[in-house]
This record gives sequence, structure tokens and C-alpha cells, in this order.
Amino acid sequence: MEHTIVGYFLQFEIMKNLVEMASSTLGFNASSIIAFIIFLTASLILLLIAATIGGLGTFAERKISADMQMRPGPNRVGPYGIVQMVADFIKLFLKEDIVPVNADRFLFYIAPILAIVGVLGTFAVLPISSGLIISDLNVALFYAVGISSLVGLGIFLGGYASNSKWSMLGGMRGAAQIVSYEIPVILSMFTVILFAGGLSFGAILENQSGGPIGWYLFHNPFTFIAFFVYFIGILAETNRAPFDLPESESELVSGYNTEFTGMRYAFFALAEYMEVFVVAAFASALFLGGYKIPFNIGGDSLIGQVLQAGMFFTKVALIYYVVIWIRWTLPRMRVDNLMTLCWKYLTPIAFFNLIGSAVWIYYFGNKSMWNLIFS
Amino acid sequence: MFLQVVFILSALLTVVSAVMVVFTRHIMYAAVYLLGSLIGVAGLYLTLGADTLAATQLLVYVGGILIIMIFAIMLTGGQDFMKNSRKSFLQVPFMGNVKTYVFGGLAALVMGSIGTKLIMNVADRFSEHSEMLSYQSTIEVIGEALVTDHVLVFEISSVLLLGALIGAATIARPIKKQ
Amino acid sequence: MIPYNFDVFMPVVILLFVGVAMVVVALIAAKIFRPHNPNKIKNQEYECGENPIGVAWSVFNVRFYVIGLIFIIFDVESALMFPVVTVFRRMRDQGMGGVVLIEVLLFILILLAGFAYCWRRGDLDWVKSYKRPEGESK
Repeated sequence: MEHTIVGYFLQFEIMKNLVEMASSTLGFNASSIIAFIIFLTASLILLLIAATIGGLGTFAERKISADMQMRPGPNRVGPYGIVQMVADFIKLFLKEDIVPVNADRFLFYIAPILAIVGVLGTFAVLPISSGLIISDLNVALFYAVGISSLVGLGIFLGGYASNSKWSMLGGMRGAAQIVSYEIPVILSMFTVILFAGGLSFGAILENQSGGPIGWYLFHNPFTFIAFFVYFIGILAETNRAPFDLPESESELVSGYNTEFTGMRYAFFALAEYMEVFVVAAFASALFLGGYKIPFNIGGDSLIGQVLQAGMFFTKVALIYYVVIWIRWTLPRMRVDNLMTLCWKYLTPIAFFNLIGSAVWIYYFGNKSMWNLIFS
Repeated sequence: MFLQVVFILSALLTVVSAVMVVFTRHIMYAAVYLLGSLIGVAGLYLTLGADTLAATQLLVYVGGILIIMIFAIMLTGGQDFMKNSRKSFLQVPFMGNVKTYVFGGLAALVMGSIGTKLIMNVADRFSEHSEMLSYQSTIEVIGEALVTDHVLVFEISSVLLLGALIGAATIARPIKKQ
Repeated sequence: MIPYNFDVFMPVVILLFVGVAMVVVALIAAKIFRPHNPNKIKNQEYECGENPIGVAWSVFNVRFYVIGLIFIIFDVESALMFPVVTVFRRMRDQGMGGVVLIEVLLFILILLAGFAYCWRRGDLDWVKSYKRPEGESK
């Protein structure tokens, strides 16, 4: 219980009294039923937050792209257009669901489920703050990389099931792209894990401190390069431009999305924006110090937790802004450039980082460059 | 009780998906049911406390092998994979003879006894363990073992992967037209 | 060797079920509110306004498969490396740093040799280069 949100809540007197009350009324030790109820509530709240973030992502994308293109963007529905995402959702909810006659019905139903489950699974290990991390698994990073590969499978099956040439090509390219870029991403994660000594977010974040000097980004040159390799890799993993060939809007109509209408399309779009949020959260936790506040203001008290959650969302929002910024600045890459970039540039650089980090650890231990220069 | 519930769900998922893989006629559905089966096996590893193994199963099997299988189905199926082209279980040649039925009978016996034990296990232990069991996290143990006691296995596996890489690249190369 | 409770898996399993439930419930709920007017032309696949010609998949490029194979090799390699990089720092603090460094380097270098082989033989190219003469083997 210590490594989950239930363990954090059980520190308070109110929760302990509640558990005792429930145990006395039910007859047996009710701590696991209370844990289940807390987890269920936390999961539902997380689902709501995830859907809101997905919706806000679409809204943010439209507003930021409008800002970069010197036009106002959606501003009619509600103040500054913020209710636009609710309007979009209602519109998609009410659209007719057209399944093409020759499409594969079973796979058509399953593809959005795979995409959403693949993304929601990673929400369970997000390091929001030191107490509010839902589950501090010991193999959190390993598990997160594993379960986000379900999204690639969902895209592939969605493209196949539609039985349309555009979708098939989009699905195949999407699967090849997601699968190829997992290697530089995993190797960049190794660079950080070498210094952290553990796969859980608790271990990764306890070695970073709040101020920029303590982040792994500035720890040594190998992690610095690894951050950029990781960032390019996650742009490709989530099918964001300039790597958005699977859903390229000017080439393949809408790629694997073409035949999905209404709510099914909404789930694919939601999965994409939620996945950008999750990988941005991992980037901030691995390289930018996650929820840690400079000088550790507030400590572990409730105020501290709120501040830490605020810091987490700020960092993720910054990275999200950069991801959207890149989309509307760079043109799309051609498919052979994409594969060449992955296999001939990023993977050798990632291997070089890994070997360099291993040698650094052997000689200097966990000391950062600043420790070596100033002592 | 959480462990029992997860065990039953994972076991059901594994067994039902595996049965559907064998009996379905459409080969792409067979690949998707295989996905269900592999996820069920990962859940079974979870109930045993092998978190590293469950994550490895997800990463390697679901993220890699299944995509390769679907690529392979598309490569070798040609135009026919959209239709129900697999013969049903009893129409495949050499499937209806004595050996098959004997083996099938033994397998049914084993599965029946496992199923009975399962049901009795559930009925037995409904309210026994209300406290959560604890398990040792395995990733550090495996890591230490791989570099101290079993380092030869570690290095030989890299040689094995090298062989697989070169072999696969050689076989998948297009044939030179002379 | 930190003892963990099985509690840490509960949110994972719950969240997976909640995800499936969300999609299923949303689709069923939407079915009540959606219009349903199937029409022969609406149900065809989209091919820029023309009638679709031919089956959807005509030629499969083997390079998808080669990329997948190379990926799976590196995937298994990273799955084997995950436990090793987790204990690297601790092993170094216990004094075995040199030995573990040599083992890890050996592992990586053997695979890099295979990677270099694939690179040199052209398996990582997405399209055949136009500069190579026709008679050279790939």
C-alpha cells in the first residue's frame, strides 16, 4: 500500500477512522475493499481528466495554430472559444456511424478500443505529485512502453479493417513508423535509467532536484543529447507532424482514419492527444525534473502536493506547446526520409549515448558535470 | 480476493482466446485472438508477482511479435486473406484420425480437471485473504543474476540475436534476378 | 529486494477495464442518438469520389517486414537490457563496475556489429538507391 495513492491517503487520520468503521460494520478487515473503492474513484477521475485533456488538446491545437497563422481561431462558443471542445464532442456524438459494406466489422469495433486502452494504461503510472501518483510500480517505465505499443496495433488494425486503399497504406506506414521509433525512445530512456538506478518514477525523480541544475537534462552531455533523441522519437510515436504520414491530410485523405465516423473517429483523435500528454509527462519526469519544486517548498504537506501538481502540469503544458509549435512550423517528412532518420541517425546516436553513459557511470558514479567542475 | 479475480479473468481470457484461435476461420481474427491470449498470459504473470516478466511479455510479444505476425499474414496471404479461406477444424486433412482424437481426449481430461480445481478454489477462498499479499520486486534480482551468475547466458543471447538478425535479413532479401 | 504489495497492480487492471467500458458505453449510448440511414453510395469506401476499383491490397512491400524483423531483434535486446541497466549503478557502487561495464559493452557491440551488417547490405534502405548499378546484389 505504500507505493500507491491509497498509501498516501491512509496517512491521514480520517481515512484510518473510516477503515476501522467499515471493518467493524462488515466483520472482516475492510482495508482492501476501501482500497478498491479509492482506486475505482481515482480511475474514474483520471478518465475524466484524460478526456478533458484530450479535448483541451484539440482546442489548444486550433488556437495555437491560429495564433501562428495570424487568425483568431475558434472564439464564438463561450469565452475565448473554450466551450468549442464540448461542441465538437456533441457533434461527433450525433454523427451517423457508417461502416463500409466490405469492411471487417469485428476489427472495426476493436481498433478504437485498442487505441484507448493502450493510452489509458499508461495513465496509471503518471507522476503527478509525490503523493498523488496512482501507482508507483517498480517497473513503471517498462510497463508504460509495453502497453503503449497497443496503440500502434490499434492503428494498424483500423487501417486494415477499413478495406480502403488509403486506410491500408496509412495503417501499414503507421505501424512501421511507430515500431521503428520505439528503439531510439527506449535507448534514450536507458540513458536516464542508468543514472537513476531504478525504473519507478520515485527512483527517477528522487535524484533530480527542482532547480534546472539538478535536472537530468543538464546532468551530463549524454543525457542532454538523449533528451533530443527522445523528443524526436515521441513526435514520431504519436504520429505528430512532421511525422504524421499515417494520417497525412494532403496525401492519404485521412489515412487510417478515413472510414471511421462519429464516435469512433473521436476515440482515435482522443487517443492521439492523450498520448501526446502522456509522453510529454514522461519527458518532463525523465529529463526535466517532473514535479519537483526548486528548494522543495512545501515539502510533503498538502500545500506541497498541490504545488507539485501545478509544477507537473506547467512543465507538461510547455512541452505540449512545443509539440504543437513544431507541427505548424515544419513540413511533413517523406517516408524514406523518416525511416532513414530513425535507423541511420537516431539509433546510432542513441547507442552512442548509452555507451557514453555507461562509461561515465563507471568512472564518475552519479556525479553530474557541475559536481565535477565545481569540486 | 483481488488476486483470485485477476487470475480467473486472465485465465479465461487466455483459454477462450486460444480456443478461438484454433476454431476461427478468418486468419486475421486468429491473430487478434492471439493478442487476447498473450495479454491473458501477461495477467497470469502479474498474479504470480513476476512484474518484469509481465512487462517483457507486453513489450516483446504484443508490441513486436504480433505486428510481425500480421505483416507475415499479409505477405503470404495475397488476395485471399480477406475471405474466410481457412478450412474448418474437421476438414483439414489428417485431423480426423485416431491419434488426434486420443490426444484431444487427453487434453480435454486435463482441462476438465483444471477447470474443476479452479471452481473449487474460488468457492473455497472467497473471504480468506483480505489483506494484500506482498511480493518481491523481481527486476533487480533478475538484473543482478544476469550480470553475476548467468552472464554467459546473457552474452550468448546476444550472439543468438545477432544470428537471428543476419538470418532474417538474408532470408527476407529479394532474390537477385539473373 | 523491496517488498511490494499486489495493490500496485490494482489501478492498472481497473484502468484497463475502465478504458474498455468507456468505449463500449459511449458507442452504445451514441447509438440511441444517432441517425441511421444507410445508403448504397454512403456505404462504399472512399476513393475521391469515384467508384472503388479493385481490392484494397494489391502489392505488399517486403521492406515493411524487414523493418519489423530488425525491430523485433532490438526489442528483445532492450527487454534483456532493462534489468541490467537498472542494477548497473548499484553494481558499480559495490565495486563490480568494471566487470559489468565490459559485459554490457560486449552485449551492445555484438548487436551493433549485426546492425552495421544490415546497414551495409542495404536492408535499412527504404527505397533502392538509384545510384547503384543494376547488376549489384542487394
